[in-house]
Amino acid sequence: MKYALFPGCVLEGAAAEAYTSLKKVCEKLNIGIEEIPNWTCCGASHAQGVNDLAALAVNARNISIAEHMGLDIMTVCNTCTLQLRVAKKRLDEDKALREKVNKILKDSGHPYEYKGTSKVTHFLWILDEHPELLKGKVEKPLSGVKVAAYYGCHILRPEEVMKHGESNQNAVYMENLIKALGAEPVPFSASHKCCGFHAQLAAEHDVLTVTGQIVDSADKAEAAAIVTPCPLCQMQLDMYEPEGRDAVGSKAEVPVLHLQQLVGFALGLSKADMGFDRHVSGQKKLKIG
Amino acid sequence: MSFLHVKLGLKVEKETVSLTSNEEEYYMSNGISRRTFLMGAAAAGVAIAAGTYFSWNGKNIPEEVKKGDVTYDVLVIGSGGAGMRAALAAAENKGLKVAVMTKLQPTRSASTMAQGGMNGVTKVTDKEDSVESHMFDTIKGGDYLCDQDAVEYFAENAGKNIYEMDYMGFPYNRQKDGCFHQRKMGGHAHARASYFEDRAGHAMVHTLFEQCLNHGIDFISECIMLEISMNGDNLNGVIAMDMRSGNILGIPAKTIIIATGGYGRAYWVRTSNPYSSTGDGIVAGMNVGIPFKDPEMVQFHPTGLSANGVLLSESSRAEGAILVNKNGERFMAKYAPEKKELATRDIVARAIATEIEEGRGIGEGIRAGVYMDFRPIPPERIRERLGQVWELSKRFAGVDITKEPVPISPTCHYSMGGLEMADFHTGASRVKGIYVAGECSCVSVHGANRLGANSLSEVLVFGHTAGDGAAAFAKSNNYAGSQDKLAEDCSRWKDTFEEVTNRRRTVGKTVPEIRDAMVNTMWFKAGVFRDEQHLTEASKELEALEKEYSHCYVGDNSHVFNTAFYQYIELGNLLQISHAIVQGALARKESRGGHSRRDYPKRDDKNFLKHTLIFKDKKTGKYRAEYKDVVITKYQPKERKY
Amino acid sequence: MDMNLKIHRFVEGKKWVQDYKLTVKTGMTVLEALTEVKEKQDPTLSFTCSCRSSICGACAVRVNGNAELSCEVLVETLMKRYKTDTLVIEPLGNFKVIRDLVVDWDPKYATIKKIKPVIEPKKEFSLETGCKQSPEEFNKFKKYAKCILCGSCVSECNKSALNQEDFLSPFVFVKAERLVADSRNRSPQEQLKAIVEAGLWRCFNCQECTAKCPKGLDPAGAIEKLKESTFAHKLDDNVGARHAKAIYDDISDSGTLDESKLNIKSEGLIMAALRAPMAVRLMRTGKMNPMNGHPVNPEIETIRKIVKNAEAASKEAE
Repeated sequence: MKYALFPGCVLEGAAAEAYTSLKKVCEKLNIGIEEIPNWTCCGASHAQGVNDLAALAVNARNISIAEHMGLDIMTVCNTCTLQLRVAKKRLDEDKALREKVNKILKDSGHPYEYKGTSKVTHFLWILDEHPELLKGKVEKPLSGVKVAAYYGCHILRPEEVMKHGESNQNAVYMENLIKALGAEPVPFSASHKCCGFHAQLAAEHDVLTVTGQIVDSADKAEAAAIVTPCPLCQMQLDMYEPEGRDAVGSKAEVPVLHLQQLVGFALGLSKADMGFDRHVSGQKKLKIG
Repeated sequence: MSFLHVKLGLKVEKETVSLTSNEEEYYMSNGISRRTFLMGAAAAGVAIAAGTYFSWNGKNIPEEVKKGDVTYDVLVIGSGGAGMRAALAAAENKGLKVAVMTKLQPTRSASTMAQGGMNGVTKVTDKEDSVESHMFDTIKGGDYLCDQDAVEYFAENAGKNIYEMDYMGFPYNRQKDGCFHQRKMGGHAHARASYFEDRAGHAMVHTLFEQCLNHGIDFISECIMLEISMNGDNLNGVIAMDMRSGNILGIPAKTIIIATGGYGRAYWVRTSNPYSSTGDGIVAGMNVGIPFKDPEMVQFHPTGLSANGVLLSESSRAEGAILVNKNGERFMAKYAPEKKELATRDIVARAIATEIEEGRGIGEGIRAGVYMDFRPIPPERIRERLGQVWELSKRFAGVDITKEPVPISPTCHYSMGGLEMADFHTGASRVKGIYVAGECSCVSVHGANRLGANSLSEVLVFGHTAGDGAAAFAKSNNYAGSQDKLAEDCSRWKDTFEEVTNRRRTVGKTVPEIRDAMVNTMWFKAGVFRDEQHLTEASKELEALEKEYSHCYVGDNSHVFNTAFYQYIELGNLLQISHAIVQGALARKESRGGHSRRDYPKRDDKNFLKHTLIFKDKKTGKYRAEYKDVVITKYQPKERKY
Repeated sequence: MDMNLKIHRFVEGKKWVQDYKLTVKTGMTVLEALTEVKEKQDPTLSFTCSCRSSICGACAVRVNGNAELSCEVLVETLMKRYKTDTLVIEPLGNFKVIRDLVVDWDPKYATIKKIKPVIEPKKEFSLETGCKQSPEEFNKFKKYAKCILCGSCVSECNKSALNQEDFLSPFVFVKAERLVADSRNRSPQEQLKAIVEAGLWRCFNCQECTAKCPKGLDPAGAIEKLKESTFAHKLDDNVGARHAKAIYDDISDSGTLDESKLNIKSEGLIMAALRAPMAVRLMRTGKMNPMNGHPVNPEIETIRKIVKNAEAASKEAE
C-alpha cells in the first residue's frame, strides 16, 4: 500500500508535529507515503474566492504530479482534501473545463496534463476502509480513555464531494476507529460543528466563542482528549483554546490531538515521538503516550 | 383612526406565564445537540432542548396596523402572483397606502407551483403568432364559455406583461437573439409561453416578491381573513386573525383586492393544489353579495398519484407511458381509438374515472386508480427526460417506474370558476370597492377549461389591471366605511374564537373527520362525472356536514399560531365552496369543458351558452343560481375537436 | 413498522418534548407523519406547509439535527440513515420560534432588503421592450434563481448560530449572486458593497448550507463567486479580502503559505502586533519561528505562469 502524500502547508509549518507523527505511524502500519514533489498550497479554501480558475489550475497541477507517480493521493487535512476533491470532481465531470485547464498547464510549461487517474483520499478514510492495517498492531490499547471525535467540516461537507460511508450526516467512522484503538468515544454534541478557523480574522469574536464552546462541550462529555483528522481544526482548538475559554467563560482545558497522534499512542509510540511538546493546551493533562 | 382590534386575553388558568402579545417569549432553536441522536447513551439528553429565551416583538404586521391607526387605500388579500402584481401596480401611485395580506408567508402560494410558463403574444420566437390566434385558442380551449371581449383584452395585454416581467428581473430562458424564448403549449397554435425551466410560477412569485420588498410594500403576513366587513353598501375593511398573537384585527380599507387563489382543496387529497387553496376569498366575497361565477367548472388532470394527488407531468404520456386497468388492458383504445393516451386531459380523465367506476380499477375509495406503465419507454430515456416523475413515483408511491407501473388517478388541478369580475377593464366586482384577480376570480377568460400557461398570464394581466383599478378608485373616493361596525365584527369573531376553540371533545366530529366526509361526497358525487341523482345526494350530504361543522371539535384553544382553528376556518370555507360547486353542477344540464354530466353528455349551446352565478343569501344562507349570457364577439361556437 | 416521534413543542412560553407513536406507511413523508399526528392524535401540534411538492418552501424542519424539507423526505429514509426508529423533530435552527415547529421569517426578509433585491436594468432596456441577454449570460445565474426560501441553509449555519446581526443567511447570498451575475443589471457595485458590509467575509466556510439546500444550489459556492466579484469591483479593502489575497499571493510567491507573514498582510502591522502575546506563546512551543526563512518551490516560475495564464483566461471568459 503506497500513496502520494499531499501534506499541505501547515504540516510544513505550525503543525510540523502532525507530519513527524504521520511518518512514524505510517511506517508502523506499513503504509508507504511519498511526498508529491514540489506541490503547492491547495488554496486553503480562500484562493477560489480571489480567482477560481487559478485555484483550480494550481490543484490540477498538484494532482497531475501524483498521477505521474502512478499513485493515489493521501491527505491529512480536511481542507486540502476538499480542495483537491472539488478540483478533481469538476475536472472529471466537465470535459471543456478540463481542456481549458490542461491548456493553461501546458502553456505554462508544466510537463503533465491532468488525466483523472489518481484518487484523492484522507488518512482517516484509509484506516476506516482497511481495518486490517491495525490488526495486531495496537500494542497499547487506550482502554478507559475517553475521546471526543471532532470531525470538522470539510471531511463531511458537501456530501456529494466528500461522501464516505453510508451517510455523512450520520458519520461514525472516527468513533469506530477510536474503538478499534481501545479507547471510548464519548457522545459529543459539537462533533460535526465548525471550528471557525477560516474566518478567524474576519469574525474573531464568533470564532473564539465557537472554539470555547467546542472545547467546553468535550470537557462536559468528560473527554480526556479531542481528536481531529484536520490540522487546521487542531490548530484552532489547541492554539486558541485559552482565548476560547475566555470568550465563553469556561475553565475547560482539553488536549487536542491530531488523529495520527492518537493512533500512534495506541501503537505504543510516546508523546515525544508524536511531538506533543509542540501543543499549546493540555500539556499536563494528557495521560496517554 | 381609532383603535380597532380586539385583543384576546390570555387565559390565566393555563399553566403558562401570562404575557401580552408584544412581550411574548420566543426561543431560538440553535443549541440542540445534533450528535446526541447517534449514541444511545445520550438519548436522555434530548428530553429538554437547549435554546435561548428572549423577548420578541413580531414584525409580521406593520406597527400601525397593530395600533389601528392606518386606513389602507388598497388592501390586497393573497400574496400569490395576482396579489403581488396588483400591489405593485397600485403602489406606483405615490402616496397611496398599499398592503398585501396573506395567511401564509408571501412565497408559499399556488402560483409558485405553476410549471409551464406564461402565454403572451410577443412574436419573439414565432413570427406568425397573433393576438387573434391567442384569443381563438383560449376560447376554443374554454369550450366557448369564455367572455370574448375579456379574452381579447387578456390576449392584447399578456405580451406587455411578459416584457414588464423581463424588466423586473424574471429569469427567462433565452434564445440566441437575446430575447426570452417562448414555447408551444398544448392547445395553442403558436409558441407563446415564456418560462423559466419547469418553474415559471416559482420564478414569477419570487421576482414579484423581490420587487415588493424593494418598493417597501407592507406585508401583513400570517393573518387569515375571516370576513369582509360592510356597512350597508360601503366597505369598512377586512376582519382577520393574526396567527401569532391570536388577535382579531379590523383593518380599514377604501378598497380591497381579493386574490386568494382557487378551491381545489374541496377535493382534498385528490388535488394537485397546495393545502392553502381553500377558496377563502371566494366565500368572503359571496358573503358580501359577489356572485360565484361558474363554480362547477373545475379542471381535472388525468394523472395524479393515487397516493396523494401530486401531479405526474403530462410529458409522461407524451413520452410513451400507457394506461392499463387491473386486468392489464390498455383501455384508452376504447375511449380514443386514434390518440389513445395522447387524447386531451378531460377525455383521459373521464376514461380513467369510467374504468374505476366499472370495477376495473385498483385500490379502494378515494385512492382508487389505474396503472400508468412507463416500461414501454427505455429506462435511459426515463432517467433523462422524466427525472421528476421518476422521483415523485419513487418517493410517494414507492415505485420505480422503470420496473413497475405506478397507480394514478385524476386530480383536481385548476378552478376556472370564481368571484365574478364585473368590469375586466378595472378588475372591479359588482360590490363597490371590492376588486378581484387571479384564480379566485372568474373574468371569464378560461371558460369551461383552461389552457396550459394561461393561468400565469391571467394572474399578471388582471393582477395589474385590478391594482390600477383599485388605486384609481381609492384616489377619487374617501373612506366611507364605519369604524364602529368594523369593531363590532371584530368583537363577534373574538366570541366565535372562544366558543369554537373551547368546545369539549365530546361535542362532535373533528375537523379532519368532517373534511374527509366532504371529500368523499365531492369526489364521488361531484367529481369527474356528475349526474342529477348524485348531485342531489351531494347537496343533502353537504347540508348534513354543515350541521356537524356547526358543533365540531377543534381541540386547541391557544391564542398563538392556532393551526387547528385555522383549519376549522378553511373547512368552513370549503364546505360553502362545495355547496356552490354542487349547485352550479346541478343547474348546468349539459357537458362542457371540465363539467361532465352523465345524464346530459352533450354540450347544449341553446340553453347553456351562459354563465352560472351562484349567490348566497345573506339572511338564510341558502344558495341561488342566476344566469348571465356569455359575451360572444368574433368567434361563434363550434364543436371542439383536436 | 412502528416509529416514535419526539417533537419539540413550544406553546405560549412553555417548552417540552412530546412523544408520539405512529405506524410507518409506504411513501410516508415527515410531513405526512406530522399531519397524521395532528389529525389523529393531537390537534394542538402546529407546523406550516403548503405545496407538499418541494417548491413553496413552507415546511422545512430539523430532523435528528439536520434541516429537511418535510414534504420531500421519507420517514423510512431517515430511519435508515440514523439507524433508529426514533426521529426527533425540531423547528429549524437559527430562527426564532413562534410555536412548535413554526418559525419567524420576518428578520430574514428584513435582511433580504439589505441587498436591494432587484436588478436595475441597463439603460438600453425598458419596461415596454424588456431586456436582452444571451443564453450563456442566462446560464451564469440561472442556478441561483431556484431558491425556494425554505430556510434549510441557515438552520445549521455555524456563523449564524453565533451572531446573525453582522451576517446574512446563506440564501441571501444566493439571491445576491443571482442579481450580481445577471447581465441585465446595470452594475452590481451597490449590491456587492452591501454584501461586503453585511458580512460576506465572515462566512466560516463550514459548508452546512451547501449540505442542506434541498435544491442543490450550493450557497457556499455562491459566497465564493461573490468574493471573486468584489475583487473585480475593487471592494477588497477589508481584512477578509486581504487575508484571501495574501494566501492567493503566497502561491505565486513561494508555492506555499508563509504563516509568519499572513496576519501582517491581512490585518496590517498594528493589528498583528496586538496579537504579540499569542505569537510569543506559539514561538515558545515552536509553532512559529519567524527566524526560519520560508522555502521557495523550485518550480515557482511554472506555478507563477499557471496563475497568470489562468487569470488571463478567466478575464477572457468575461
